[in-house]
Amino acid sequence: MQTSLDFQYIIELLPILIKYLGVTMEMAFWGFFFALIIAVAMAIVRVFKLPVANQLASLFISFFRGTPLLVQLFLLYYGLPQLLPIFSGMNAFSAAVLGLSLHFSAYMAESIRAAILGIDKSQMEACLSIGMTRLQAMRRIILPQASRVATPSLMNYFIDMIKSTSLAFTLGVAEIMAKAQMEAASTFKFFESFLAVALIYWVVVMFFTRIQHLLEIRLNKAYS
Amino acid sequence: MKQHIKIIIAAFVAITSFITFPAFAAQTVKVGMSGRYVPFTFSEKDVLQGFEVDLWNEIAKRADYNVEFVLSSFSGLFGMLEAGHIDTISNQITITPARLERYLFTTPYVIDGAQIVVKKGREDIQSVKDLKGKKVAVNLGSNFEQILRALDTKKEINIITYESNLEQDVILGRTDAFIMDRIGSAALIKKSNLPLQLVGQPIDEIQNAMPFLNKPSQLAIRDKVNTALLAMKNDGTLGKISIKWLGSDITQ
Repeated sequence: MQTSLDFQYIIELLPILIKYLGVTMEMAFWGFFFALIIAVAMAIVRVFKLPVANQLASLFISFFRGTPLLVQLFLLYYGLPQLLPIFSGMNAFSAAVLGLSLHFSAYMAESIRAAILGIDKSQMEACLSIGMTRLQAMRRIILPQASRVATPSLMNYFIDMIKSTSLAFTLGVAEIMAKAQMEAASTFKFFESFLAVALIYWVVVMFFTRIQHLLEIRLNKAYS
Repeated sequence: MKQHIKIIIAAFVAITSFITFPAFAAQTVKVGMSGRYVPFTFSEKDVLQGFEVDLWNEIAKRADYNVEFVLSSFSGLFGMLEAGHIDTISNQITITPARLERYLFTTPYVIDGAQIVVKKGREDIQSVKDLKGKKVAVNLGSNFEQILRALDTKKEINIITYESNLEQDVILGRTDAFIMDRIGSAALIKKSNLPLQLVGQPIDEIQNAMPFLNKPSQLAIRDKVNTALLAMKNDGTLGKISIKWLGSDITQ
């Protein structure tokens, strides 16, 4: 039984896996893009306490925070088409993006809401006193400041989302985790394959952590 | 306010545009497989290959289909079939009564089951009858032991249970034969190059085939696949694919 680590194999496997990194990143970017739109909308609804919409947003957040992402992905991809046949046309990639954005939007909505509430109430009052509507005040004065506060936690969610894309293999998306599993199954080099894929995730996350750091420095310029 | 509505509508359109509708033009058959079952469907150096892949490339050629392989973990395959994401599963699916109630199966393309394996070149053992008075090895606790004991009503077979290395003792002549699943033993012989051979039909037959949903559109595909499969059985193509990947013909 050969027990030593096969470094040669890891080096050969890395370029194969990196070819599929594009799929992983595409899922993460699209997922984050839609999650951000849904989250901002829900945060505003919750801050203004719009009747009905507020309750719906609370229910949405409660459900998507209260159930595992894997369960949500299975519900979307395997469950929904049985109920509504039109969803069987949705491919695995879209289902993964949809699942990721719904799941993460629930968390992101709460941190955006907290950031908005963190801006002093007097600012909104000042805006209203000079004749802005509440939405105008939100867009021109409150949200720009809230975005600075929310950035670190939103970046954390983005990093978490990159890693969560690895669950998409259960739906059949050919991303890097899927490829690592398949190569491992045919060569029986499980440790090497999963180590290679772990290294790739790690490097990618380090890259975005660096970007987060630079972004924070830029956003804080006016305050330092 | 109007601008916000526009953004929301744009987002909605973007989300829904992800949902694509199946094309009706060139008939593409989506075949689900795990991609993790050597030597049937596996990926090596990023090339998907194996028995099932060769089989479907041949079926597609004969039935004039485009074949698209959809890879997913085995546990997800039946869910994808139910949800209509794939047309069928090509992953050595065994026909069982419960599955027959729900799915339409093609004609079996692999016959699996408890298989008698002897040393290469040995001719005297061809079936369970020939095992009378012989030493036969089975893995301890495997259901092959129960299958053999059930057939050996007069207790004439000397059944020996092994923890491991039952192949080696057959090669050395310490035992006359061993019983293992047909696919597993064929793959083992092919991979290890041990001087062993499969003899006769499986003593407890299991049939593997491809399931389709019970719908007219799927029935049409099933029938075309069946026609291609039967032709491939008759002209020996199926056997050749089996020998290529497993070293012996397990399709009959």
